[in-house]
Amino acid sequence: MLELLTRLNDAAKSKVLTLQEYFVLAGKSLRFMFARPFYGQDVIQQMDEIGVKSLGIVLLTGLFTGMVLALQSSVQLKTFGAGMYIGNLVSASMIRELGPVLAGLMVAGRVGSGIAAQLGSMRVTEQIDALNTLGTDPIKKLVTPRLLAALVMLPVLTVINDFVGIIGGNIIASLVVGLPSAQYWRTVWDQIANDGFTLRYIPNDFIQGLTKPIVFGGVIAITACYFGLGTTGGTEGVGQSTTRTVVTSSILILIVDYFITQLLLSVLTYG
Amino acid sequence: MADRRGPPDTGEQRRSTDVGPTNDRKSAAVRHAIRSELAVDAPAGAERDAQRTAEQSVVELQHVSLAFDVPIIEDISLVTREGETVAIVGESGTGKSTILKLVLRLLVPERGRVLIDGEDVTPLTFDEALAVRQKMGMVFQGAALFDSMSVFENVAYPLREHTKMNDDEIEQRVREKLQFVDLDPDRVMEQFPAELSGGMRKRVGIARGMANNPRIMLYDEPTSGLDPLTTGTITRLIMKLQHELGVTSLVVSHDIRAVFRMASKVALLHDRRITFLGTPEEMAGSEDKYIQDFLGGFST
Repeated sequence: MLELLTRLNDAAKSKVLTLQEYFVLAGKSLRFMFARPFYGQDVIQQMDEIGVKSLGIVLLTGLFTGMVLALQSSVQLKTFGAGMYIGNLVSASMIRELGPVLAGLMVAGRVGSGIAAQLGSMRVTEQIDALNTLGTDPIKKLVTPRLLAALVMLPVLTVINDFVGIIGGNIIASLVVGLPSAQYWRTVWDQIANDGFTLRYIPNDFIQGLTKPIVFGGVIAITACYFGLGTTGGTEGVGQSTTRTVVTSSILILIVDYFITQLLLSVLTYG
Repeated sequence: MADRRGPPDTGEQRRSTDVGPTNDRKSAAVRHAIRSELAVDAPAGAERDAQRTAEQSVVELQHVSLAFDVPIIEDISLVTREGETVAIVGESGTGKSTILKLVLRLLVPERGRVLIDGEDVTPLTFDEALAVRQKMGMVFQGAALFDSMSVFENVAYPLREHTKMNDDEIEQRVREKLQFVDLDPDRVMEQFPAELSGGMRKRVGIARGMANNPRIMLYDEPTSGLDPLTTGTITRLIMKLQHELGVTSLVVSHDIRAVFRMASKVALLHDRRITFLGTPEEMAGSEDKYIQDFLGGFST
């Protein structure tokens, strides 16, 4: 019994310690954004890696999500004779939820795994130690540029994702339901306007749709760097870190998404 | 070996296990082979180092212990003086590399102190430690070159990080260092680490380690995984660094032949402790059973 308690205690301690390390890493890398030296070139390179190179999968994800949304909702809405409201549905779902979450999940898979594998192999080949030895803080040199790039690029990718998704909906609405494009786009805008504005001009949907990807970007970058830098056990360890990164950041995205939504719905005035 | 030791003196010999009359023919042959090897290579360096023993310690470990889940090293004391080359030898997994990490303050000892130029580095903050590390150049076992950078960028890295040199000066310094390690700058500068052979990577690693003109060089298994010829080249390079630039070096290795060629002092790590500290000659002449066994492979 005592042994069980001790073991539980140890397990709890190590979990708390993990959490603490995670937040220390996040805090440090955030703080280093404002401290010299700045590794501008690394930031640009990471923006290319995280943002530009993820464009393809995000375009495909957005297009097909929008299309399938329109297709499914057309069936449902038709039964109520409300086929012309497809635009409302696609726009609200894409901008508020699916755009950020799906872009986040795709980037977690593509970029998170890449970061974890890269930092992990740098760890096991002593390149992280080499950075330390050469007088560079690895967090500043490796984590901060990735975090900054993710914070900037994920919202950009999300906006593209939303836009392409709504276009996908437009295609299906006109091909399958026969809804004119002008009508479709009017309902898209109606939905955004109906959801209300903050400070008179900023649509609430946009606030939701842009807050989420910023947070997701942070989650992906920090999770990937945390597991990557913590890699032990040679090349096998690199594989494990990669897997852990994708699983953990995907789950975290879904969990964090719920809480942001909850928070924003209570803060923003809808309708 | 439970007694606590003070800071060891140069040349003083320490033994862990009992020293019996194990002078069979084999060990005699071993010693002879070692002595003849030493006769060719060692004297010049050893003599010069002997004159410096009175000078200040550059790297010093005082009763250092470290444990993670199990004890790694216990009560290690070691002094390296200006211009000396101290080699730490021992079986794999005895914590040799750990000592280098302690010196670099990548690890902090549980007990004891690590002094660089007489300054205790154990209580330093992370940022202060970064500064102290610039006095040292480290050559990693696998070279640890940055994969994402060219050879030029690798060697230029410490210069870009810590000096205000302009691009021309940096290029000049990089060329100079690459030439020092017998690489043709025009040929290798734009190549990436993955395109280089093991020996070349090691040499670039040395060039990067010495780019900032550090006074202390640390080598982790500098000759492991290399063919005998390349091993010879790297060993000569390390000696060239000592002789031409007078840097103080700490070498971790299990390549006893290379160690005997370049070291002025040898420390043997066994059972988490330093069980022998002395000149290569003293080590070769030791009657200790474990040392004899350890050197046994050398005669073959």
